[in-house]
Amino acid sequence: VEVLTQLAGGFAAALSPTNLFMAALGALLGTLVGVLPGLGPTAAIAILFPLTTVLEPVPAIIMLAGIYYGAMYGGSTTAILLNIPGEVASVPTCLDGYPMARQGRGGVALGIAAIGSFFAGTLGVVALTFFAPLLADQALRFGPPEYFGLMVLAFTVVASLSSASLLKGFAMAAVGYLASLTGLGPSTAEPRFTFDWGPLMSGVDLIALVVGLFAISEVFLGLEESRVAIAEKIRNVFPGWADLRAAIPAILRGTGIGFVLGLLPGCAPGVTVFMAYDAERRISRHPERFGKGAIEGVAAPESANNATSSAGFIPLLALGIPGSAPLAVLLGGLMVYGLQPGPLLFQKNPEFVWTIIASFYIGNVILLVLNLPLVGLWARLTRIPYGILGPVILMLSFLGAYSVRNSMFDVGVSLVFGAVGYFLRKYQWPLAPLLLAFILGPLLEKYLIQSLSMSGGSPLIFVQRGLSLALILAAGVLLFTSLVLVRYTSRRVREETAEELAL
Amino acid sequence: MGGVLFALGLVAVIEGWRLYALRTQMVAGAVVGDDTLPLITGAALIVFGILVAVVAPPPPAKVTLPAGPVRAQMLLAGGLLVAYWLILPYVGYTGSTALISVGLYRAMGNYRWLVAGLLAAVTTALLFLMFRVWLHEPLPTGWLGF
Repeated sequence: VEVLTQLAGGFAAALSPTNLFMAALGALLGTLVGVLPGLGPTAAIAILFPLTTVLEPVPAIIMLAGIYYGAMYGGSTTAILLNIPGEVASVPTCLDGYPMARQGRGGVALGIAAIGSFFAGTLGVVALTFFAPLLADQALRFGPPEYFGLMVLAFTVVASLSSASLLKGFAMAAVGYLASLTGLGPSTAEPRFTFDWGPLMSGVDLIALVVGLFAISEVFLGLEESRVAIAEKIRNVFPGWADLRAAIPAILRGTGIGFVLGLLPGCAPGVTVFMAYDAERRISRHPERFGKGAIEGVAAPESANNATSSAGFIPLLALGIPGSAPLAVLLGGLMVYGLQPGPLLFQKNPEFVWTIIASFYIGNVILLVLNLPLVGLWARLTRIPYGILGPVILMLSFLGAYSVRNSMFDVGVSLVFGAVGYFLRKYQWPLAPLLLAFILGPLLEKYLIQSLSMSGGSPLIFVQRGLSLALILAAGVLLFTSLVLVRYTSRRVREETAEELAL
Repeated sequence: MGGVLFALGLVAVIEGWRLYALRTQMVAGAVVGDDTLPLITGAALIVFGILVAVVAPPPPAKVTLPAGPVRAQMLLAGGLLVAYWLILPYVGYTGSTALISVGLYRAMGNYRWLVAGLLAAVTTALLFLMFRVWLHEPLPTGWLGF
């Protein structure tokens, strides 16, 4: 009952005209950027994040969440109409979505994707409403060693973000930690890694890093690829009865698989979509239809993708652990606004948390209402020539990196990381572990120093306290589970795309 | 890449060592401090560098680097971004954005000068509306004052 009362309060705030407008604007902009060929949700959030910095924290985070949902849906559009997965989680959608589009059923595929996303997303938010406060109730049991244990648990996510090579993933995470150390030391305020150069004193800005790694590098990779959209006009996005009858069970199964696995902090949507797709094909009476335009092949992975993404908000808000690269950027966004996701968030900022959770419900509805009628518009956007898109994205990224701190140094940082990101992606070094470690680095350092100060330098403190020990053991178990799941997913990605892709 | 990781690790360890010496002078009795994570990260990077370069190199990636006109396009676009970074504080937002946009549309889309000029004017105006009018960002004005 208490949860429902707080949620009602959240709805009252989220339904204010400003917050409602921000949710709609975020969903619209997110979809707009998400449908641009090759730009995945991470890049979309990175490009649009600076636009939220002018707002108060609550509307800003509501808009950011809308951008996240919109960008996730936008990724499906490019997968279905262009056969371009903005990220690995959209690969299974290409397998049947693109053949459907070639058969003139692109509108129906987009419609089913929207309905599946809405259903799975809403179910994920319902679970967030009831599960997250239970986890957060443990807040008072958390001291520095327990928080350090949480950071170790978050580190297991690196395994699921590392594609085929765990060594590459951990190496990239170490580079991310190193980048996060630049600036003034937290204990003595002594400059570190600044080499007596003034601009480095304030450290590397998160947005500059994300814009460089994910947006600028993406444009240059996009220049190399020829991208052709399905030219046919999108006629009908509302699936018929036969389509719905085939898709609804697939949506339910995809949602179940995506949600249950999404609760594990080390399980990214890239893993669950393949499991949902394979499960659907295995139980189908006509598995030969898969890969040739089976509607279940769109419904199941799209639902799993959104269920995992929504379930990912539970470890994100309750424990501060992001399960995927877009959620890592969202975590960074929350921290930019002075909010620290984790057990204490629900106690320190209850109004904020419940307003955001209520806005997730609203965001899902807005996305469905916006996307079904606007599918034709999104489809037309995919035909904008790259010669126009590329310069616009580059200029937007450039000015976005500048606008966060009005700093030309930050722009320089984003250009450098753009070049670094391009080569790392070309040589298949995963970027998401670098980003995750960069965001979690300062927290890891804080809790490590506090814990070791408490124990007089003895690392045994991490195994002498029950909760801390449990978190570290859970990290070990999750790491093992992630490795098994990642191996399975990497094999499937190789089978379908003949490539190694980061999850 | 193994060499790069090793070099980064070495830099981190040297910096950590400097901070360690400083901590022992400045804070009596402190067992950890600003040097702790740099030393741990540096050591990890050195180990990863050795693993990648010598012990267990990951399977080589099949990479095709761009060539011909695409490479020229990319180099030109990258060069224009660096030029934008250099001239923006001096030329100001309007002049530099219009100028660099024309270059980017020419380089990335092969548009004629007139079309590129029109696209650049629209881009400059829209970005001005977004950043200056909506977000109230103080964009650089440079020598020209706008």
